[in-house]
Amino acid sequence: MKLIQSFFDQNYQTPSWLTDKLTKKNFSRRMMIKGALKSAGGAAVVATLPFRAWSAESASLPEQLTSDPWLTLDSVLNHLLPSSNSGPGAKEIQATLYLFNVVHLQPTEQDEIDFIYKGVGWLNNYSQSQLQKSFVELEVEDKEKLLRGISQSTAGENWLNTLLGYIIEATLTPPVYGGNPNQIGWQWLEHSGGFPLPSEGTRFYEVPNQQSRVIADTTSHTAKNIEVVNIIARRQLPKGKGKKA
Amino acid sequence: MSYDICIVGSGAGASPVAYSLAKAGAKVLVLEKGPWLTEKEFYKDELAISLRNVYNPNLEDEQHVIEEQYQHDNGEAYWQGEATSESGWSFWNGTVVGGSSNFMSGYFHRLKPIDFRLKSTFGAIEGANVEDWPISYQDLEPYYAQVERDVGVSGKTVNHPNQEPRSTDFIYPPLAEHAISSWIDKAAKLIGYHAVPVPRAILSKPAMGRQSCEYSGYCSSYGCASGAKGSGRAALLNHAVAGGNCTIKPKSKVYKIATDSNGKITGILYYDAQGRKQTATAKIYVVACQAIETSRLLLASKGEKFPNGLANNNGQVGKNLVFSAGGTGSGDFNYDELSEQQVNELKQVGPFINRSLQDWYQINDKEFKGANSQGIAKGGTIDFLFHQNPVARAGGSQWGVDENENNQLVWGEQLKQNLKQEFTTYKTLRFEVFNDWLPNDDCFVSLDDGVTDKWGDAVAKVRIGYHDHDLTVGKYLSKKAEKLLTAMGAKNVSSSVSGYPPSNLMAGGCRFGDDPKTSVLNKYCQAHEVDNLFITDGSFMPTGGSVPYTFTIYANAFRVADHIKQRLLQIKGS
Repeated sequence: MKLIQSFFDQNYQTPSWLTDKLTKKNFSRRMMIKGALKSAGGAAVVATLPFRAWSAESASLPEQLTSDPWLTLDSVLNHLLPSSNSGPGAKEIQATLYLFNVVHLQPTEQDEIDFIYKGVGWLNNYSQSQLQKSFVELEVEDKEKLLRGISQSTAGENWLNTLLGYIIEATLTPPVYGGNPNQIGWQWLEHSGGFPLPSEGTRFYEVPNQQSRVIADTTSHTAKNIEVVNIIARRQLPKGKGKKA
Repeated sequence: MSYDICIVGSGAGASPVAYSLAKAGAKVLVLEKGPWLTEKEFYKDELAISLRNVYNPNLEDEQHVIEEQYQHDNGEAYWQGEATSESGWSFWNGTVVGGSSNFMSGYFHRLKPIDFRLKSTFGAIEGANVEDWPISYQDLEPYYAQVERDVGVSGKTVNHPNQEPRSTDFIYPPLAEHAISSWIDKAAKLIGYHAVPVPRAILSKPAMGRQSCEYSGYCSSYGCASGAKGSGRAALLNHAVAGGNCTIKPKSKVYKIATDSNGKITGILYYDAQGRKQTATAKIYVVACQAIETSRLLLASKGEKFPNGLANNNGQVGKNLVFSAGGTGSGDFNYDELSEQQVNELKQVGPFINRSLQDWYQINDKEFKGANSQGIAKGGTIDFLFHQNPVARAGGSQWGVDENENNQLVWGEQLKQNLKQEFTTYKTLRFEVFNDWLPNDDCFVSLDDGVTDKWGDAVAKVRIGYHDHDLTVGKYLSKKAEKLLTAMGAKNVSSSVSGYPPSNLMAGGCRFGDDPKTSVLNKYCQAHEVDNLFITDGSFMPTGGSVPYTFTIYANAFRVADHIKQRLLQIKGS
């Protein structure tokens, strides 16, 4: 595949890691339609409503978040889920910290991480070419126009959908993963999170479930040619079609 | 060290054998492919349980090939396999000590007498390989009672038209019930249905060294942190190990059962936790790795006397695999149409619904257009449930439609509104329909000749053909369930019945029977061809019944364990 230069590159094809994720996460058409309200012209108006403090204690953030690509990602996430009277935004949800952890702590596929980072470059290039500013410097209305613009491309839609998916995870997964501080997301959506909840040391990638991986020389029946690698639990897709037993 | 019994697998089919035999003084070895987790390692974590699925192998490392039917342009049908690492459709259900029983919902319905003699009751169905069981309900009944006692099943008996005979009453009282259970009861009565309590393999009070249920509201598909859920690990293996006679070797992947030139088993070959090849020997061998993997292991265990795989000289291993037919459905209760009290009742989280309908376990309805022209057929069970996983529930909230009805992403205030609406304005009551998956020639396990697992061994190829009659029954039952939801005042009532198998509900592949030509096992689940080989997971079932499998697998494994005890005494005496 050729090196993709922008969201609008004709050579872009949705990669398999993403199609798998989309089909298996059961983002079915029924779900889409059920959750949908028509929006005129496709542009949701982002009103700057009077801001009510959603008391989120700000955690001490990793240093990397103060420079790109994290500055841009933070700006995009805050635009996608704005803080307002209607509920906490990405800022209060700590969506950026959650995404940072997805990239750095969770066992996420490298292809997906690369795609998230590349999108930042494409977005800023597009922003520079259209408005001669980087994305973080734009006013809300211009950010909206730009994101609507890239969402018309397959790559742009995939990129935004990926980020929206992680905003939803940040809002609704146990707080130890970095989002949903003090269960702010669950409180907002009146959801009970269950118990016991995982804490540091028992996050899913820390559970001692790792099976030994054996890469054996299958032509040999001696035990010499084996290599034991402890793998960490990796992303897998949930059961697609099923009943609970 | 040589053992009396070596068991491959540690789930619902394996653990009763380990428990019973260890208790009787036999030295038992359990080889389990996955790690040994305990209550301390189970949390209410949607990422762990489904979004990242950490209790199962990575599909790149271990997978299946699923064969579906397609059609050429000329109308000719053909079967095409797809590796699950490509499709993402996992057929693993819990690769840990205790197996999938750690993650079950524990709906413990017994089979009914009629399930043991479908063919003689309803007649043959063209295109299906239905056979009567070589045992009757009465043979299994004492063991259902034993499971209720030793694994711990909470429930209560009520009289209803399809109540099966019982020798004992429940020892553990029913679990706390959600308010909606009484809504179901009321609506059922109104339209002439019998809503019956669902027995659950979850302790309603502390017993046998285990705590009672904590009502966290997250149960189905989650590992239990209190020990209340009757997994083979919590309920049986812990006791077996504590007694000193049972050794569990986790992270031990069995790849072959070796036989000598006389066809006698010489040992179980496995990779240990460090990846070294090891051999285990015993007097009696038991295989219980869940239906697909059990057939795969036998097929892979070729020997001089068994060129087509162990116990497979009649070509029956892997055949007549069954899943659970039926489907799912749902209805929504909109808060703005309900009183404040009703809304508060609906919002309750923790207690169980525990209601089912079995009014059509046998269908006798002229309107029913099945194989029998009189409208008589085997029907099934309908269970009710809520889904709790919030990320799954939110999925789709970022999608809307534009003015041309095209899907498009939404964000900003629209996304917040979608989420708020999804979570705070209604609650969905779901149902699941369980009916027989008719065994047929297009549903079986074989070895794939291209795809191997990370150890280099051929993976199981599973053809998933279904009989159309399954859909007819499933749709009939779904309509009955929909009627109840409507009578309850639910909106947006719908259901979906398809021929896709639920990958967590499987049985068959080594069915038992009196005729070695058409079955793999005899009525004691002992291989016709191999004297000291028993299979005690769901593989033995010629027909699956119309309820989830785990209870029957447990009960049958206890039954076989009693037989193995006798056999072992004979062996030791001789």
